[in-house]
Amino acid sequence: MKKTLGGLLVFVIMIAVLLGLLQVLNWIPAAVQEGAFRKYASIEEIRAHLKINPVYTPIYYPPSVQWPPALIAAQARPYPAVLTEFMKSDDRNETILIITQTARSHPPLALRLSLTEVRETVKYPFKGRVAVLEVGVCRKEEQCSRMVWDEGEFRLSLVMRSSPVELVRIAESIVAQHPER
Amino acid sequence: MYLVQSFLHSLIAAFIVDTALIAWNIEAPVMRQRFRLMVLVMPIVSYPLYQFLSPERGSALFRLDALFDIGRWLDLELWGAVPVGVLFLLFLAFTAVIFVIQEMLPIARHTLTPRGDSLDTTVPEPESRVTRALESLPGGKPEVYILDDEEFVMFSSTGKNPAVYLSGRLVEALSLDELRAALAHEIGHIGRSRRPLMVVVFLLRILMFYNPIILMEFRRIVQEEEKICDDVAATLTGNRAALAGALRKFYYPDGGEQKHPMPDTPRLRDRIEEYSHTILIESRISRLEEPPAPVMKGAVAFITVLVTIVSINYYLV
Repeated sequence: MKKTLGGLLVFVIMIAVLLGLLQVLNWIPAAVQEGAFRKYASIEEIRAHLKINPVYTPIYYPPSVQWPPALIAAQARPYPAVLTEFMKSDDRNETILIITQTARSHPPLALRLSLTEVRETVKYPFKGRVAVLEVGVCRKEEQCSRMVWDEGEFRLSLVMRSSPVELVRIAESIVAQHPER
Repeated sequence: MYLVQSFLHSLIAAFIVDTALIAWNIEAPVMRQRFRLMVLVMPIVSYPLYQFLSPERGSALFRLDALFDIGRWLDLELWGAVPVGVLFLLFLAFTAVIFVIQEMLPIARHTLTPRGDSLDTTVPEPESRVTRALESLPGGKPEVYILDDEEFVMFSSTGKNPAVYLSGRLVEALSLDELRAALAHEIGHIGRSRRPLMVVVFLLRILMFYNPIILMEFRRIVQEEEKICDDVAATLTGNRAALAGALRKFYYPDGGEQKHPMPDTPRLRDRIEEYSHTILIESRISRLEEPPAPVMKGAVAFITVLVTIVSINYYLV
């Protein structure tokens, strides 16, 4: 028993060292090279630090969406990408809306809100763009919608736990600020 | 992503297992082999298992808060031009080439070589030392054949009709006790071959052909297998020193000098292999010359290590 506990103590110390080492190793790339994916306090900070311009944001938010976003993250390397995540206004632990903006030639960032089943896909023309609008369910059989279209140098993707009606309104409010294409 | 994460998970699992072996001073080769099997098996199943249990694990947000995100390193650009990811893939490709050259080609060559009764063998005489050594061992006995060879040769074949082959020169060199111990070691291999563990281990190893950590860990598992058979021989004969003596004569026939002195071996790869082989033989001999280590019930340590590997690797993406 004494040997087992003594061994456990040594083991725990070594694991603590390993965890510390992993955290240092995780920090090094961001320290030596600007532009790695990380959190930001505001959209303005992204513009200032990463020189990503424009950063597309909606001006319309449905009442079910809590503003400001719970998470703003972005990267300039290996390709520009911005992610904003919003919580439900009546449950601040549950994500309701995720907006991503990624350089066109690259795949969108993997999100923690995704459609587990797509029930309908349509091409949806709006304000001179053509988006792909998908309606389906996320986990727990909740209705979810996704809208993806190309905007300038970027591909925008909106995923929301709601009907597509609200999603389209949000998308229209994004492009309303950028009428030129 | 699977390639990268399985490499990362195996690296961390190998570190944790080695740490546990040192922390609990686990010396029994059977236990050590069980621990090392975790390093081999876990990375194969961990990524799909984690993704199945928690699809959000692949999201950008999870990566952001992960303990370690290897993607950050792979996206780094050396001299502003060469992504580390490209070098990493080249490294995995190099490992795959090593695997094919060192492990698959010899098997293919062996399989394709036409088989004939090329081995010049004789059955030992009823009163010979080989027969006496064999008969003094307990349990079932395999067929034994003497090879007409001037080198020190000993190996066993498994399958339906297992047999032990040893050269006449080796029979002459070993004492009766050493002969018994050497035969008992081969009987250990034959007995363990009835359990398909090593075949399964090799198949798993093939699945991870690109993974250098698995390549090393597989070799360590095979080395533990040799030590397990040493212990089987020691149990059957009750004489650890005899097997140590047999090993010493087998590998150092000139009384202490290595069979293939390293400086004469031209290629670096051969020299490294020869060196690691010498280390293994020395470690086998030294543990046989010491009193047997107390057998430790390692269930607590095993479960602790397993839970630690599963928990930490979950946060490594």
